[in-house]
Amino acid sequence: MKTIMKKSVRYLLLYTGAFVALIWALAPIYWIIVSSISTRTELLSKPYKHWIPTHPTLQNFIDVFTTGQKYRAGGTLPTSELLISGLRNSMVISVSVAVLVTIVALLAGYVFARMKFQLKDPVFFYIMLLMPLPIWVSLVSLYFMMTRLGLTDSNLGLILILGTMALPLAVLLMATFIRDLPYEIEEAAFIDGASRWQTLWLVIFPLVLPGASSAFLVSFLNTWNAYMIPMIFSNTEKSQTITVVLSLFIGQYEVAWEQMAAATVFVMIPPILLALFFQRYLVRGLSMGAVKG
Amino acid sequence: MRTFSRNNLSFIILMLLPALLLVTIFVYYPSIATLISSFTNENLRIPSSGKFVWFLNYTQLLMKPEFWQVTGRSLLIVACTLPLEILIGFLIALLLNENFPGRGIVRALVILPWILPPVVNGFLWNWLLNGEFGALNGLMYQFGLIDKYVFWLQHPSAQIFWTVIVQTWTRFAFPMIILLAGLQSIPQELHEAAAIDGANRIQQLFKVTIPLLTPSLAVAIMVEFISAFQIFDIVWTLTAGGNVGQVINPYTKTLMVFNYQMVFRDMKIGMGSALSYLIMMMSMIVGVFILRNLYNRGVDK
Repeated sequence: MKTIMKKSVRYLLLYTGAFVALIWALAPIYWIIVSSISTRTELLSKPYKHWIPTHPTLQNFIDVFTTGQKYRAGGTLPTSELLISGLRNSMVISVSVAVLVTIVALLAGYVFARMKFQLKDPVFFYIMLLMPLPIWVSLVSLYFMMTRLGLTDSNLGLILILGTMALPLAVLLMATFIRDLPYEIEEAAFIDGASRWQTLWLVIFPLVLPGASSAFLVSFLNTWNAYMIPMIFSNTEKSQTITVVLSLFIGQYEVAWEQMAAATVFVMIPPILLALFFQRYLVRGLSMGAVKG
Repeated sequence: MRTFSRNNLSFIILMLLPALLLVTIFVYYPSIATLISSFTNENLRIPSSGKFVWFLNYTQLLMKPEFWQVTGRSLLIVACTLPLEILIGFLIALLLNENFPGRGIVRALVILPWILPPVVNGFLWNWLLNGEFGALNGLMYQFGLIDKYVFWLQHPSAQIFWTVIVQTWTRFAFPMIILLAGLQSIPQELHEAAAIDGANRIQQLFKVTIPLLTPSLAVAIMVEFISAFQIFDIVWTLTAGGNVGQVINPYTKTLMVFNYQMVFRDMKIGMGSALSYLIMMMSMIVGVFILRNLYNRGVDK
């Protein structure tokens, strides 16, 4: 009897704690989702709010992607076009960065994990130093360099910059991951007559897939979430990412809160899907260097 | 028999080349160019500028009250955010270290703020705190805590307060994950031994758990220091109002916002470059420390 009591008190405490933690983490997200499916009248009602919309609607999403308000700063583009180009740019840039970084990091990570050469430590240090380096140190001159190269306001320019930013974490991930793989498999393949490149491609690559998935997802997420760099290096719909487009709306027409909320929810969908379905890979990647495995 | 040589130099160079090229072209080359321009008085508004002035930018910055004000503000944000987020992260880590049905779901959901774009989080809270229609107003009114709607982000110190809250909300999951991993690596026997010695749960927490968590704690603090010290996106959409052509709010101007303004609004390239190097020097002590920690993990020795 006493143990049952003790057990239920324990559960009561744990679930109360879990409830409080979830309210803290999710309440703001809940509200933006509610805002996006509320009608304008309900959303702006005061002083009492409609915590659960009585007439949930997807009209805000339809509006923001079809008619929507005009985006006034540029004076030319309707909201919907800007949003669609923003989503397209973000998708193109994030996927390209993830692919580029995963491949480059796989190559470099393999060398750090397996090969022996002088200067290995300094070279590794050279790449890893980027992580704590404040971005402005390179940004000021990078901007003028990219302007001269004609790479501002282009997806390619953003892929190269954001890809470089994502690289050190991915290299660290791949190096750590490959180092923990059994070395004998590669050696056996090599002795059996596979070339060095065949070994890499046919033996290492399949084994390294979980690590590569982490590198891929983390690079994708960090690029999708990036704001300051795309904001500085883009100025038209040619390369403005979705986070930049969203920040333009904030200043421009704060009155259309329900549509603003719908646009915001759209930006949040890819990260949330990644977090819910690939949490293991994502968390391993994002907290790399501190937690292993 | 073929031997698998581990020091084939051309192979090594070929494999490292893409990474080294990217890093050199897009980070190191511009960093050196920035360093050089930090010694000039280059200002895009003044056509004949760009002369070498040695350390003038640095000394001018160090004598500028605004520089110290902005640095102090960034440090204030760090000093408020770090303890708060680490405390919240630690409490949730303790909770998730217990076994109960549904733990996995709680863990998956609780990290969501951390994986959202910070710029979105700034806006999310800006909308929650809205003085006319905000949800916080609605909630507090419903519970009778306020009798009319309040503009939460109006007062300068309130803006700092909410910046700290939003940064904490965005980042607490990182210390949580790090500390949870630390907790799970503490052997159960240690707790049992302490319990046999007569320590209660609170004593165990302070005498066994927390000392053993010090390494994890150190990592969390270093990473979070960098994140809070170099805060930009959240401030931008929460309070800065710094959209194209708009005035940057002086009350939440942090170091990164200050740097942005100097380079891209005031076009003071020389001084902006000097400022970025000053920021780097301030973060460096902590940065190098992090690196030492990470370094020994990635290299096969």
